[in-house]
Amino acid sequence: VSDRVAADQLRDLQRITDAALAYLPLEGLLQELLLRVVAILNVDTSAILLLEDDEATLVPRAAKGLEEEVERGIRIPVGRGFAGRIAATRQPVQIRDLSKAEVVNPILREKGLHSMLGVPLLVEGAVVGVLHVGTLTERIFNDDETELLQSAGDRAALAIYSRLTERERGLADSLQRSLMPRLPELPAVSMAGRYLPAAAARLGGDWYDAFQLPDGRLGLAIGDVVGHGFHAAAIMGQLRSGLRAYALDGMAPGEVLSKLSRLLRQLEPGRTATVVYVVLDAHGGRLIIASAGHPPPLVQTGEDASYLDIPPSVPLGASRHVIYDDLVLEHTPGSALVLYTDGLLERPGEPLDEGLERLRSVVTEGEEDLEHLGDRVIDVLLPEGPGEDDAALLAVRALPLGDELQARFPAEIESIPGMRRLLGRWLFEVRATRPEIDDLTLAAAEAAANAIEHAYGLAPGLVELRASVSKDGTVTVLVRDFGSWRSPRGANRGRGMMLMEGLTDGVQVIRRDEGTTVELSRKLGVAAAA
Amino acid sequence: MRVDYHDLVGVVSLSGEFDLVQVHALRDRLLGAVRNEDHGLVIDLSEASYIDSVGVSLLFELAERLEERQLRLAVVIPEDGLVDRVLRIVDIGSVATVHLNVDAALADLG
Repeated sequence: VSDRVAADQLRDLQRITDAALAYLPLEGLLQELLLRVVAILNVDTSAILLLEDDEATLVPRAAKGLEEEVERGIRIPVGRGFAGRIAATRQPVQIRDLSKAEVVNPILREKGLHSMLGVPLLVEGAVVGVLHVGTLTERIFNDDETELLQSAGDRAALAIYSRLTERERGLADSLQRSLMPRLPELPAVSMAGRYLPAAAARLGGDWYDAFQLPDGRLGLAIGDVVGHGFHAAAIMGQLRSGLRAYALDGMAPGEVLSKLSRLLRQLEPGRTATVVYVVLDAHGGRLIIASAGHPPPLVQTGEDASYLDIPPSVPLGASRHVIYDDLVLEHTPGSALVLYTDGLLERPGEPLDEGLERLRSVVTEGEEDLEHLGDRVIDVLLPEGPGEDDAALLAVRALPLGDELQARFPAEIESIPGMRRLLGRWLFEVRATRPEIDDLTLAAAEAAANAIEHAYGLAPGLVELRASVSKDGTVTVLVRDFGSWRSPRGANRGRGMMLMEGLTDGVQVIRRDEGTTVELSRKLGVAAAA
Repeated sequence: MRVDYHDLVGVVSLSGEFDLVQVHALRDRLLGAVRNEDHGLVIDLSEASYIDSVGVSLLFELAERLEERQLRLAVVIPEDGLVDRVLRIVDIGSVATVHLNVDAALADLG
């Protein structure tokens, strides 16, 4: 008879990990598991606690007859109390009389439990949690019952573990994806970003970011937090936010990285990260860059690609009083800037230089479309899919604007810096001097401010910017609105008109039913009329 | 924006772009930089690269308020830049004394 009972019990146990369970979400799987354990062992309560990432705390995840344990969010330190002792010793523990035992969790007593039996959940010898059962009356669990619970625990541990890794993978994926930015859309700027998680779907610490600064320039960053797992990813998220916050405050790249290094040392002493942060100042045909131990960005111009020559620097967090310097480099309109992390370059047993050369040679091919370039780089550098490390890539190209500029902006004050930058970029391309660029962009900004403040009232609208240059070198800038004309009021606008007139050779205001156009002209190569 | 005090004169240094977006944020701080006992204010634009009509108007408003209280305004302007050209066009000299450096401005107000 006892053989038959044992056989039945084993069959019941099999069902704990049968195929049907594999489709339940983790919580459902644990619930089902506990129901069966309660039935097989004929006990009153049963609970599963899982070890937290810190490996020092057990947290109840599912319970039968002890539901409050889960609801109250009780946390049990490893080594203390009933469950804590099981996790610490990795041995089954039996309590015949709970009133005489050290217990951390008050619910066990509140429920009036008398006897308990618990086993560790082990995966490859490491504790991942605890499974325990309890009875309201005195019960002595025999060796067979202990073995049965342990064997339920072993099977459960594996199921839980694989489910957890699966869940972690899903989380890893969505976390990492949510941290990759939506790339800003700027006139005549193309951009492509790529992020590849590591092969084992481990969480990584790579990120890239791109954003428009309040002054209209473009901020670009890429970085790599040393290490893997949730923690590295969480640090990465914080560094990414920190970098953006400092950058949006108007700090120069070097200052941003200096502050970020201090932030990292505060967040987690001993952790390091490499970052490069670039402000693309297409307006001046240059870029301002600071690097913290990151491999140098690559620039592609025509059929040539070369790494930026930036002096060596230490990673963020590596040194207490580090100051990162800004480097100002020429940047030809139409060139592509390629930022990347070393996960893209590394192959086991190969020097880094070979990876750098591989990347350079792919970029040299001169693929115009940056989305295609991104695909091509990934295909060539990671032909077998993701590597040991995660990898990120960000490519940006400020396209030449051509002979005539035309763009539309929302009629909002916040559009003006971006509009100024765009006109500045175009003027730079048509070889205006720095003072000419300054004067004309300011005059155009005044015209746009006029349109925004006076053409639309509070309704949303658009402002159009056009610019062209004649054969004799006269630049004409048109700022047009589609609203109804209302005379500029107040000292501000009076001065606005004064500035437009003073900074250009001619200002014309053309009012039509469909809107107002302000035409500014200035001949390049001679001083302004003022 | 940075404010230093030299005896009874405040020196407000503005750097970067002094445009209409910045002005909205700076207005109250700028007007608040004048202490009751002060007899003058220096606006140092040596590190400023841009100023538009809204920034200009704030300077005029400041000059007007200072004048009501019989305080004087001095402006430090970098030579030959956009800020210099803009402030000449609007004739900032009609409401403030113009200087090439902070020491000269302080000597003038002292």
